[in-house]
Amino acid sequence: MESYLLANAESVVARARAGDEGALEELYRAFEAPVYNLARRICRTTEDAEDVLQETFFEVCRSIGRYREEGSLWGWVRTIAASKALMRLRRNKYRDTDELQEDVVGHRREDTALRMDLEAALERLSETSRAVVWLHDVEGYTHEEIAGMMGKTPSFSKSQLARAHQRLRRWLGEEVEV
Amino acid sequence: MTHLSMEALLSLREAGLEPGDASAREHLDTCLACRAELDRLHQRVARIRALPALRPSRDRWPQLSGRLRVARRAHRHRMAGLIGLAAAASIAVAVLVGPHTEVANGGEQEIEAAMARSQALETALSQYHPEQRMLDGRTAGIAQELEDRIARVDRELEMAELLERQQPKDDQLLKLWRERVGLLDALVDVHVTRASNVGL
Repeated sequence: MESYLLANAESVVARARAGDEGALEELYRAFEAPVYNLARRICRTTEDAEDVLQETFFEVCRSIGRYREEGSLWGWVRTIAASKALMRLRRNKYRDTDELQEDVVGHRREDTALRMDLEAALERLSETSRAVVWLHDVEGYTHEEIAGMMGKTPSFSKSQLARAHQRLRRWLGEEVEV
Repeated sequence: MTHLSMEALLSLREAGLEPGDASAREHLDTCLACRAELDRLHQRVARIRALPALRPSRDRWPQLSGRLRVARRAHRHRMAGLIGLAAAASIAVAVLVGPHTEVANGGEQEIEAAMARSQALETALSQYHPEQRMLDGRTAGIAQELEDRIARVDRELEMAELLERQQPKDDQLLKLWRERVGLLDALVDVHVTRASNVGL
């Protein structure tokens, strides 16, 4: 898991709590890129990701007084970003198109020699599966944490991750005869 | 020979030992195919982690800082309204006890009462810490919709307050403050009802 650091974080947070707009901008500049990346990897469109970016920092700026400095600042910001991105998925009620197609065509796809690049394969996953892959494999959240953020069970998170990896394995042409 | 499932392979990558992990590890010691599959899983995850970082196409800070300024002004106004209500309350007491005092403007009092109610609801909501509680998808959607509508009313209030300095229109302000109170009431209901359902 990559961690992002803000130089003089304590003093920036103290100034942000006092309403110093310069400090709020420092916070934004420090975490803008990783927050957007997380949002874009979870959301389907750049517009949604940009909205999540703005909603995340609106929340960060409004609730900086509640940040307790027990964990890393990036960890706190990231959890807000992940929640906002998941909320956006729920609001948009995207259809999990790849799963619908899988259900309809059954296993015919497995006979087709599919080979995609990784970006395309991730994009093809359902929003929920892709969010679980990103939050677990890249951001390092546990299944319990993901379940808490999604309002689901840890078993749901585990099965989503397993299904996602089965699909990625197939779509990336990694299947081998045993 | 039965090979390890994807779920079993994934659980081998977790820090803690789950039931069945010991036998999975034993299987791994003797099965070349499953070891190769686990290697591919490690490599796939490493490739996902190494994907390039995506960046926003435009700077959103100017828009965000404008929105924050509006929110801060609305907050200050609400706080001022609360102080105004205390003053209005003392005037009301004076009206009740003093037989020859003039009655204060009804519209202003109603606005101040709506501001105070709005502030009380926000305080109740913040003490409930909704941001630390998980909501199911439908409830979260309703809460988000209400928050969006409150934000819209705040923007309209901001505009109405600017105009009011030139041409006072208490009825418009009162309508907006009442709408805000109604939305906040609904938002508190959404959070609290959900909480009582799950016994929090």
